[in-house]
Amino acid sequence: MKNIKRMRRIFSFLLLVTGTSAIIGGCRKDPLNNLTQDESRIYITNRDSTVNFTSYSTFSISDSVTVVDNGHGTRELTAVDQAYITGVKKYMEQAGYTLVNKNQSPDLGVNVTRIYQTSTGVISYPDYWNYYGGYYDPFYWGYGGYGYDYPYFAYSVYSITEGALSVDLLDLKNAPSHNDQIKIIWNGLIRGSGIFNESTADSQVKALFDQSTYLKK
Amino acid sequence: MKNILKLLALVVAIPFASTVMAQDRGEATMHLNYSYGLPLGSFKNDIVGNNSPRGASGDIMFSLNKKFSLGIASGYQDFYQKYPRGTYKLNDGSDISAVISNSVQTVPILAKGMYKPLGDKYSFVQPYVSLGAGMNLVDFRQYLGEFGNSTNSVSFQAQVGAGIEIPFGRLSKSGFQIGAAYNYIPYTKNGYNNLNSLAIEAGVHFPLR
Repeated sequence: MKNIKRMRRIFSFLLLVTGTSAIIGGCRKDPLNNLTQDESRIYITNRDSTVNFTSYSTFSISDSVTVVDNGHGTRELTAVDQAYITGVKKYMEQAGYTLVNKNQSPDLGVNVTRIYQTSTGVISYPDYWNYYGGYYDPFYWGYGGYGYDYPYFAYSVYSITEGALSVDLLDLKNAPSHNDQIKIIWNGLIRGSGIFNESTADSQVKALFDQSTYLKK
Repeated sequence: MKNILKLLALVVAIPFASTVMAQDRGEATMHLNYSYGLPLGSFKNDIVGNNSPRGASGDIMFSLNKKFSLGIASGYQDFYQKYPRGTYKLNDGSDISAVISNSVQTVPILAKGMYKPLGDKYSFVQPYVSLGAGMNLVDFRQYLGEFGNSTNSVSFQAQVGAGIEIPFGRLSKSGFQIGAAYNYIPYTKNGYNNLNSLAIEAGVHFPLR
């Protein structure tokens, strides 16, 4: 009799623990589901702190975009690329710099780059199958109340391609006096969802310049 | 923290010194609660300012006599807040503009003592106070835009609670309860200080036979 009582208590505690686990799985507010595309994006800017950006007057921008795909570079000019180039010209001019042709010895060069990086990894199927009933209610298939029987395979390989857009400012003016090296004095990097979008390119470039108030003639 | 441990030791020690009522000793009662969490202090100011309606708690208490019981408690609380886009200076001198989302899940596993001052007599309302100590499994995720990182850790936790129980009937050992618990959780990772919170709890209790 005592053993039965003890078993019931152990069972109750297990119920408490499994109940807590179920709540953990079901009652967490998922931060990623609560983000818009705009909110998903981050804008990172870096500068050479020794540089006085007011000492430059003119700039030129490359007429196409370099696409770096897993380390291999090609030149392209899609509508999205053109929108980014137009945006960079606009905000550089608003910052007080004058656009000139590249054969007119510009002080600054601007490169725009699309970067793609593919990463591979291993996904655990059990993590996925365990919530399968939550994703796809068996009721939809006319089998309300049924469960799912999961396959044996446990792991699979996945591949994800992530994109980023980079805008670089090159110091052409001081390259000859800098051991014939062109120094990158400013970089703006955009990462997140929907960055290669013609209609939002302008606002994304604006975000880079907005947080770089030192970037002015 | 030393004072909290001393108080806990007191709650544990007193029942052994008092008269033990044999008929109640060892009786097990389960409490199940909905929990509404309110972050406090630097947790509220630096990590998550929003209150959390996503929580639950429960315990199994073994009575030592009509007034004192000891047991084990667990639970779950999910804290979340998304902050508007802001620009932040990073250690390497770069500036980053991002929407920051903080997501904190806490799962306490505590040894708990409970004292009901009117436990030895019939009362429509049974007040209680409780003390607990143990650990908390903390999952802290911070996202810059869609890019996140997660820190899992185990922290110390102490808990002080108070509330009332209302039995379903005059002779019933089941009933409702409502109360509050202050959770002290020192948390010193990522430059933070603590994850202290107040939980408002309401639920039911019933004997395990």
